[in-house]
Amino acid sequence: MRVGIPKGLLYCKYHPFFKTFFSGLGAEVISSEETNKKILDMGVKACVDEACLPVKVYHGHVASIKDNCDFLVIPRIMRICRCEYICPKFCGLPEMITNSIPSLPRITMEPLYMHTETDFIKWCLSAGSVITCNKKKIKKSFYIAMKAQRNYQTGIYEDGKGLTVMLAGHPYIINDEFLNMGIAGKLRSKGIGIVTEEFANDGICRSQVKELVKKPFWTFQRRLFGAAAAFYKQKKIDGIIYLSSFACGIDSVIVDLIRYHVGEFPMLVIKLDEHTGEAGMDTRLEAFIDMLERRLIREDNNTAYGKCLYGNQNFV
Amino acid sequence: MKITIPHMGNVYMAIKILFDSLGIDYVIPPLNNREALILGSKYSPEEICLPFKLMIGNYIAGIQEGADTVLLVGSCGPCRFGEYSELQIRILKHLGYEVDFIVLDPVHSIGFHELMKRIRRIGNESKKTALQGINAAVSAISAMNLIDAIEAKAHEMAGYEKNNGECKRLLSNCKSKVFSCNHPDESIKILKEYHKKMEALTVDSSKNPLRIAIIGEIYTVIEPFSNLYIEDILMDMKVSTKRTLTPSWWVKDTLFKTMKLNSRELMHASEEFLPLCIGGHARECIGGAVLAAREHMDGAIQIFPMGCMPEIVSKSILPNVSKEKNLPILSLVVDEMTGEAGYMTRIEAFLDLLERRREYVRIGS
Repeated sequence: MRVGIPKGLLYCKYHPFFKTFFSGLGAEVISSEETNKKILDMGVKACVDEACLPVKVYHGHVASIKDNCDFLVIPRIMRICRCEYICPKFCGLPEMITNSIPSLPRITMEPLYMHTETDFIKWCLSAGSVITCNKKKIKKSFYIAMKAQRNYQTGIYEDGKGLTVMLAGHPYIINDEFLNMGIAGKLRSKGIGIVTEEFANDGICRSQVKELVKKPFWTFQRRLFGAAAAFYKQKKIDGIIYLSSFACGIDSVIVDLIRYHVGEFPMLVIKLDEHTGEAGMDTRLEAFIDMLERRLIREDNNTAYGKCLYGNQNFV
Repeated sequence: MKITIPHMGNVYMAIKILFDSLGIDYVIPPLNNREALILGSKYSPEEICLPFKLMIGNYIAGIQEGADTVLLVGSCGPCRFGEYSELQIRILKHLGYEVDFIVLDPVHSIGFHELMKRIRRIGNESKKTALQGINAAVSAISAMNLIDAIEAKAHEMAGYEKNNGECKRLLSNCKSKVFSCNHPDESIKILKEYHKKMEALTVDSSKNPLRIAIIGEIYTVIEPFSNLYIEDILMDMKVSTKRTLTPSWWVKDTLFKTMKLNSRELMHASEEFLPLCIGGHARECIGGAVLAAREHMDGAIQIFPMGCMPEIVSKSILPNVSKEKNLPILSLVVDEMTGEAGYMTRIEAFLDLLERRREYVRIGS
């Protein structure tokens, strides 16, 4: 049996698990190509217009491999950490796919709760039962896959020639070279150091999040806000570049939470959508980096015409 | 303490009755209008949904009239509504307004003790006894049920009325009378009177108007300003509409949610297409469409604010519901745009389609 895993959304974070698990069951595992223009176009065509870019691209990945496999893994990830969600669209992902893309092979419909092992195994048993009826084999494969996942680290942590920025955003944008137009490479070529949320200590993130009025209920909200606040407090970074996709509901909240928290600290928000022209992105990056460099020389944060850029004014 | 609330349809009527009978000082901001929208979209995050922006407009209007506390219900995910209070507190603080927030989150996420503590903050302002407090709450809820019943009846009967425009006139008279009345017993009397009038409406049952279900995101279907008064437009066009999501439905739903006994019919109907709760009211939206088909309605109109995550999922499911249940569905996305032309064109085209469908299409769509 051939199992297809689309290379979209949280694939970038959890592919060692899914690949090891299904190949351990004796299935042949295939995944779609890296995101490219063709996949994006297919996704945009299949998906509902209002959805965000990563979800559209995910539709494209599904459409590109659906004919080459007998079983599609579309994890309905409800939860990664206790009492937290990812996003409503993740909870309804299999429904979105089945109702938008015709003639699909069999897909996984079970909800996937990853925060406890018992819940996680439940999903694996149901997904694995399509391939084998041997429960022992599924459990064994689960533990091997967990081991493969444990040592897997995503994210970017690079020292530059002086300046360091935090590259914030959902992992499926940060790790997709096509969606983010190779922003990491662009920063690298300019000698800018990069750090992503994965390299913030979980304990510090949690302590930073306590400053919020309400306990965050999205995992990425806690991680991204916590990491940005922690890096900012530790003076580890010179600026924040937030990569967000147009119409991402969660980012619309996180971006403003971070912005209110860091105040006058340099922060660039780049909205990504189906456009693939890079000039606008390059211009903004260059301008942002120029500003960071000048800030190093002129510590009083003055603009070119000598006026305080932010001062006590509202930045809203 | 002077409390203000954000608007959502006719909820303010119940709040007025509650606070009047408890003797608590309050400000009801002016009904949603252009100014609230402009202020709201100026100070809110760009991509947040429309309800957030209108609410900010309401708060500012309320605060300018002297309010110092905001009362808001909340949720704890996965939809953005749960994060409203977090951001709104920051925005108002940034604008220099000193206000307190009392956020009534659902009991299963903050615990009974914390919820009671928050409710007591309002209760402590009142000099009334606990029994009088409960009485006040009961009369507020009964007022909410009454106005919802009146509204539902008016919307349904608009297609059958004998005297042109009578439903709409009764409804708007009722609303304006209650709005200007500050006495709880008097308000309930007015509501009861109009409820009777509505029941006694002369109808022509030989008429066969188009029947449409209004489904979608709860705020935008309830708050008429946000959906450009779609129900009034449809009343003018002599269409009979039905909407399940009402403030009184919400109260019932929230109460029964802890026991998982909430809106069983809707949940059951949506089972086939969306078996899990994904936040917001996506399941209710799908369920509403299925029920509309079961009741042989002519069509359904889905309304949701731009970027609403749960409704995006339901929008991607609705085409299949439409196909399988043979029910035409129109999706309308609302945002800060208040231009009516594009909106009206779509509604008119949809109604034309439904009318012709009756005449020419017997099977399938």
